[in-house]
Amino acid sequence: MDASPQMECVGLTKVLDSGGRPLTVLDSVDLRIEAGELVAIVGPSGSGKSTLLGLLAGLDRPSTGVVRFEGRELQDAGEDELALWRRDHVGFVFQSFQLLGNLTARENVLLPMEMAGMDGAAERADGLLQDVGLAERGHHFPSQLSGGEQQRVALARAFAPRPQILFADEPTGSLDAASGGRALELLLDLRTKLGTTLVMVTHDAGIAARAPRRVHLAAGRIERDERDAPAPHAGPSA
Amino acid sequence: MKLRLLGRLAGAESRGSRGRMLFVVACLAVGVAAVTAVDAMIGAVNSGMRSQSRQLLAGDLKVGARRALPKELDGLLAEYEGIRLSEIAELATMLSLGEDSDSDEEEGAAGTDSRLVELKAVRGGYPFYGDLVTEPAGLRPGELGADEVIVGSELTSVLGLEVGSELRLGGEAFEVAGILLEEPDRLDFAMTLGPRVFASRAGLERSGLLTFGSRVRYSQLVAVPPGVDEEALATRVQTDLAEHAYLSVQTHRRAQPGVRRGLNRVEDYLGLVALLSLLLGGVGVAQVVRTWLAARTTSVAILRCLGLRSAEVGALYLAHVALLALVGSAVGGALGLATPFALPLLAPDLVPDNPGVLWQPGSLVRGLALGLGVALLFALPPLTAIWRVPPAKVLWVEADPLPAPRLVRWAAGIALVLGILGSAWFQSGRLLVALGFTGGVLVLTLLLAAGARGIMALAVRAPRGRSNPYLRHGLAALARPGAGTVGAVVALGLGTLVVVTVALVQQRMGEELNGELPADAPSLFLVDVQPNQWAGVRGMLEDAGARNVDSTPVAMARLTSVDDVPVAEMAAASKEAGRSRWVLTREQRLTWGAELPPGNELLEGTLWSAPGVQEVSLEERFARDLGAELGTLLRFDLQGIELALTVTSIRRVDWSTMGINFFLMVEPGVLEDAPHWRLAAARLEGAGEDRLQNEMAAAFPNVTLLRVRPLMEKVAYALGRLGRAVRVLGGATILVGLAILSGAVAAGSLRRSKEAALLKVLGVTRPGVALMFALEYALIGLLAGLVGGIGATVLSWAFLEHAIELPTAFAWGALPIAALGAALLAMVSGLLASLRAIRVRPMASLRG
Repeated sequence: MDASPQMECVGLTKVLDSGGRPLTVLDSVDLRIEAGELVAIVGPSGSGKSTLLGLLAGLDRPSTGVVRFEGRELQDAGEDELALWRRDHVGFVFQSFQLLGNLTARENVLLPMEMAGMDGAAERADGLLQDVGLAERGHHFPSQLSGGEQQRVALARAFAPRPQILFADEPTGSLDAASGGRALELLLDLRTKLGTTLVMVTHDAGIAARAPRRVHLAAGRIERDERDAPAPHAGPSA
Repeated sequence: MKLRLLGRLAGAESRGSRGRMLFVVACLAVGVAAVTAVDAMIGAVNSGMRSQSRQLLAGDLKVGARRALPKELDGLLAEYEGIRLSEIAELATMLSLGEDSDSDEEEGAAGTDSRLVELKAVRGGYPFYGDLVTEPAGLRPGELGADEVIVGSELTSVLGLEVGSELRLGGEAFEVAGILLEEPDRLDFAMTLGPRVFASRAGLERSGLLTFGSRVRYSQLVAVPPGVDEEALATRVQTDLAEHAYLSVQTHRRAQPGVRRGLNRVEDYLGLVALLSLLLGGVGVAQVVRTWLAARTTSVAILRCLGLRSAEVGALYLAHVALLALVGSAVGGALGLATPFALPLLAPDLVPDNPGVLWQPGSLVRGLALGLGVALLFALPPLTAIWRVPPAKVLWVEADPLPAPRLVRWAAGIALVLGILGSAWFQSGRLLVALGFTGGVLVLTLLLAAGARGIMALAVRAPRGRSNPYLRHGLAALARPGAGTVGAVVALGLGTLVVVTVALVQQRMGEELNGELPADAPSLFLVDVQPNQWAGVRGMLEDAGARNVDSTPVAMARLTSVDDVPVAEMAAASKEAGRSRWVLTREQRLTWGAELPPGNELLEGTLWSAPGVQEVSLEERFARDLGAELGTLLRFDLQGIELALTVTSIRRVDWSTMGINFFLMVEPGVLEDAPHWRLAAARLEGAGEDRLQNEMAAAFPNVTLLRVRPLMEKVAYALGRLGRAVRVLGGATILVGLAILSGAVAAGSLRRSKEAALLKVLGVTRPGVALMFALEYALIGLLAGLVGGIGATVLSWAFLEHAIELPTAFAWGALPIAALGAALLAMVSGLLASLRAIRVRPMASLRG
């Protein structure tokens, strides 16, 4: 592939200090992610999945290696540059939802759009809440919602500012099977509808199987990078 | 980020955890209420004290001179609308019953039908403050007829005067219109020459005493209208009328030496209390803000994930702190403003005559401004901690906040130090004091932080093997990540400093200002006892049952030069420097004796140690005013004879004994043959004074007996009132301090539910959890109390010894009380705030 990928990392390494001794949690990882791709990062606990996600999303800094988004290197960017980059290009879904407890569901969805200064944020927030089936619960605080409902609000918030790439860390890890299944369907539907690149960390083989590309991590290295046969591509509709 | 969004987010931060927010606002309010209440009470008590000290001058301001006052003074005073003036002329003169009396005071007091008196002639509304008590009641000297006088009660016995009697002043006859029982502004009895006689100004003019060469002291007594500061007016008189260097300007604050010293001390004390209450409020606010912000790190991390920059996060939380501070300050300010209204219940005599002084709106503004300022200032360091909360904290709970950029941390630290310095300067008005205070607080903070780190290091290294598991956990908890031990120890330590300092200073000042007459203080003075009369007078006193009979020879002399510099030159120079020249030009009283009287302490030199010179011992402040030191040569004119005396010792005199004391004491053998009389003092209880006065008048008609009990009671009352002010304000500050400290400790205990739940899962009972928490809080309190107690001991000693010059010893005895008290307080308030956490069900740990 000659064109530069949307997201790319080269020789990405993260070394932590463990009681005075270096501990390599991610070791020389090379990865290219194309725009619109759905990638599942899978592996056992401690394999470095969340570390890789954090580094790709600019939440943490690598010890060595390069992270590029649309050709722009991120590893040396300042804290505030990264914040602005996330504001404009990135969405997140976390295992523990991470909604702001002092904001209502609707305000949580509105927040990233307001920060980005988007027009029509209110209508879009209402629309997204409708999409996730919580149109009537917008005025509720997170503590008044069930886990599944909180994760659906988190999904609406993640897609609200139309991010180019969305990172999801065990998005169903804190939910029961039924709620988790529904949240996953919503995530995939919204992603398809909006044409967003999705990088999803999971240890669940069933969920990973829903992704056409699966990057297997073990002991901080990429063990294998599986791809399904190409399928007809559904273009963005938003 | 748009301002509107910032405001909305800041507002939203207050939602969702109403209980905790209420607690934060309450803690903030307590801090601000402390500042406002103490300030308002200081304002109210100061007003009360001002009204008391006004009575001691009978006005706000007095401009006086030994010659007629310049016309320019009238012009200057006339500029103030609503000002009240009363002209007074005072002179010593002879009062006689006979037809033909000499008015020349220099001839002394002799004969049975004449007496040296202090005549005070008044035009206008004297006294403006305080009561002139007369019999019949309600007489006012300014309203007397030109042939009427009011005479001191002493004259009724010695001269048999009564209402309607006739007497002569100067060459004219006057009728006694009333008897004077109490005069508000006459306290300085040690300088009294004789009984008081009041006349109107017209009466004085009629008497013919105002001839050329009369030694008259003229003064203008002033009552300023509301809104005019008498001190500023005094300064203006001194500057605008600088060419009239002979004018002396006295404000009520400087009126009476004994009370003035007490008043100055109390004002310094109130300044200290205000400053400390500010620090206390700041500490409380800082601790609350710190623990509250620590609980927001996950929210911060989420916002960072969503793209908020560090500066935006900082602005958001600063705005939020400002919002909380505003609400807390408003509530606290209102509470504080209401506090002085409890004063009349606690100490009715502190605000005697004007309940209006309880309303101190200025304190509300001050409380609001300082509350907001202090909250924001003290919030800066904890805000720097969330400056760089890593966004990765949403993925890993254990991700610790990165340190804020060095520049931000330094800027916050410097702003905090400058803020404390600024507040201290604002409060004390003295840069040096402010620098000392800020430096002391810094050193103590560093000591507390070092102590906290030390105990944390110990907690990590302590042998764990066979020790009690509760103790082990309590100790280990001090060093757990995010325990906030350093912050808690610093806050509690500074709080202990404040509370213990106020308690120590208050106790020492209370001893000084107890409002009781010294047990051995004389109740009467006898003036003009001739040397050959002393044996008889003494016998009469002892027969009447008088105690502590004491007498001292007195020779009157005028100072002519100091180290051969003429006094006239020095007087001119001291006037230019803004000092009183009275100390130089007045008639000096000299005494002599082989040994120092009780209450005198030698500071420099040795008593009567230099052969070949005539020696004199000086009182320390008199020496300072004179610019004299050991070896200084003082020359006097003693009724035409020159006297040269060399200063060979300097003494400190305890004036509070109210006994006979002198600025100048000469060695024996110098003055014995000079013309002199004896000043005697004695204490007589009960009604014996009346009988004694009559007997004395019959046996020794030239002797004047002055009854000073009412005057002393007035002084004692004024001092006692100051003492009560100190105790009430000190007590209030201590109570508020304890409340704030409880809040500060409690704020840190709110986040322990998870820990308690987990401990219960592991099999620890509720009492067990409580014991572990209690041990941890007690250890924090013990350390903070110990270090804060040491700081308080040093600070209170420095304040007492140097700021208000009240000799004192280091109160090391307070240390164990401070340490144990702080431990107990931390334990009780920590446990009370942890009750909810202790009650939490273990199931909570499964829910994360």
